[in-house]
Amino acid sequence: MKTTQTPVVVLGVIGSDCHCVGNQILDAFFSERGYRVVNLGVMVSQEEFIHAAIESAAVAILVSSLYGHAEIDCTGFRQRCRERGLDDILLYIGGNLVVGKLPRAAIEQKFAALGFDRVFLAGDDLEIAAECLKSDLARRARRERRRIA
Amino acid sequence: MTVTHPHDTQAPDHRQGRDGQVPRRISAAAFLQQREAVLRTWPTGAGVCLEEAIEYQRAIPLAKRFALAMRDVAARRGMLVQPRAGVALIDEHVRLLKYLETDGEADLLPTTIDAYTRQNRYAEAALGIEKSITAGTSLLNGFPAVNHGVEGCRRVTESVTKPVQVRHGTPDARLLAEISLAGGFTSFEGGGISYNIPYAKNVPLRKSLADWQYVDRLCGWYEEHGVPINREPFGPLTGTLVPPCISHAVGIIEGMLALEQGVKSITLGYGQGGSIAQDVAALLTLRSLGAEYFRAAGFSDFELTTVFHQWMGGFPENESRALAVISWGALVACLAGADKILVKTPHEAMGVPSKEANAQGLRATRQIINMMADQGGLATDAVERERVILEREVRCLLGRVWELGRGDVCEGVAAAFEAGALDVPFAPSGQCRGKLLPMRDHEGCIRIFSPGLVPLDHELLAWHRERLEERARAEGRRVSFQMVTDDIYAISKGRLVGRPR
Repeated sequence: MKTTQTPVVVLGVIGSDCHCVGNQILDAFFSERGYRVVNLGVMVSQEEFIHAAIESAAVAILVSSLYGHAEIDCTGFRQRCRERGLDDILLYIGGNLVVGKLPRAAIEQKFAALGFDRVFLAGDDLEIAAECLKSDLARRARRERRRIA
Repeated sequence: MTVTHPHDTQAPDHRQGRDGQVPRRISAAAFLQQREAVLRTWPTGAGVCLEEAIEYQRAIPLAKRFALAMRDVAARRGMLVQPRAGVALIDEHVRLLKYLETDGEADLLPTTIDAYTRQNRYAEAALGIEKSITAGTSLLNGFPAVNHGVEGCRRVTESVTKPVQVRHGTPDARLLAEISLAGGFTSFEGGGISYNIPYAKNVPLRKSLADWQYVDRLCGWYEEHGVPINREPFGPLTGTLVPPCISHAVGIIEGMLALEQGVKSITLGYGQGGSIAQDVAALLTLRSLGAEYFRAAGFSDFELTTVFHQWMGGFPENESRALAVISWGALVACLAGADKILVKTPHEAMGVPSKEANAQGLRATRQIINMMADQGGLATDAVERERVILEREVRCLLGRVWELGRGDVCEGVAAAFEAGALDVPFAPSGQCRGKLLPMRDHEGCIRIFSPGLVPLDHELLAWHRERLEERARAEGRRVSFQMVTDDIYAISKGRLVGRPR
């Protein structure tokens, strides 16, 4: 039943960050691609993301951060998701994720270690993010079917 | 549309002081009473003693006073160069500022405040300081001045030779102002609108306006005791296709509110829009309308200067391209005769820059300013056309704010935002309607695509629409939201107007 419904994604800018232009564009972008977007806007806490994901039975939480504090803001996020029963929700993050300039691989590693399934940098094509989301969801659906079988 | 000077040329005299007493100035008793509560909001507040702070400020050498630097540069028609910069730890921050004043040759220094402090989340800032010590690098995007306290701030301001300004984005900056001014900073950026609407999710405007009246009263208090503090409303707002009439209206209002509390040195800001004609016209208009409205409100004893912000929207990732955007802004600031320029860095697309990148932006800007020093401004028909339009627009907006406020500017502002008469595009705040949508015309000027509820007259709105239809015809598509999105990303992708792919 669940897989035939419109998939829900929770969207927001984490922490004390108030960059909101990209947030409005992401909302329009994912809505256009058939997702129901629960957009929490700017300055969203981990708890607010998790609460919204539970309420809306979301398949993914899409976190934005543009101001460099992402590492501090995201510490313990995956752990807290598990504690609240969101065992395998997809966690994506994108934006300007660190203070200063770091190689992409180092940033990806840092946020993979924090439990994010996908890491994007500002300037990455949104189409690629959409394709990742589609394939990650398809893989999970296959896994789910195998489990039931 | 025939471009004519508006019939209503005089700003309405809405608040002439009686018996030399400025109405709405916070009384000394009310101010001192509120101070006690403000200083108790974080332990470092206890370190502020106003009498001692005034003595301390009086001893600051003239060359390090922001207001004097602005007065001086205006008199000699030069332009001062200022970066943005701030890191978590004091020693690191001092090293950064020293580098910017020596290698970067900055005329004025900043201290950019971190995002936790801006939201009064001092406990999180403390955690950021701790983690930065452990990591050996700044994990905060600015200097947490409240946590470092008066002594920490003094270590910073005493370590450099140039005037230093606090730059931030704080809806309630009362404690930050108390600590940083006692800490030797001589200029303070922000205002009750410009540091709320673009920087907060839902702080009531009446609250932020009142909190900024307190900040202005504090600056005015220093001024009354012989210590001029420069105040700079934040011009660019969301930095994303903001029509100049909106940012001008906000800047003039915030300047007036500061004067009301006793501030005398005001620097009004404008963020580069992209069209050279529109940008030059905007800066000239900001200066002339600002002075006109301040005088009409009964103020005569003020020093009004201007600041031009290099492009505040999305930057190209490529550093050479980014330096081109930076230099282009420097050129326009020169053509417009700005008193100060706020400089970007080639790392802008990536976020917080290295000190070397910061100095690169400063040097590119300096080179342009020096080459432009002996050349005049720009006076073309297009500049004149934009001036006339913009003046008329600002009068429409401010006229409605005064009308709604009936003599109380703060009340007028709050009512205007509620009614959508003032609106800021792409703002995160629920306090503004967000119905106003801008778009570039065929020549790159920022026009109004959807006016929402802003009270521009019909003739003006029809003119905006016609300019956009002209672009749409040229691009062979209809005027649509897609064009707005294209415009937002255009400069980062290498051009001004977001043409179809």
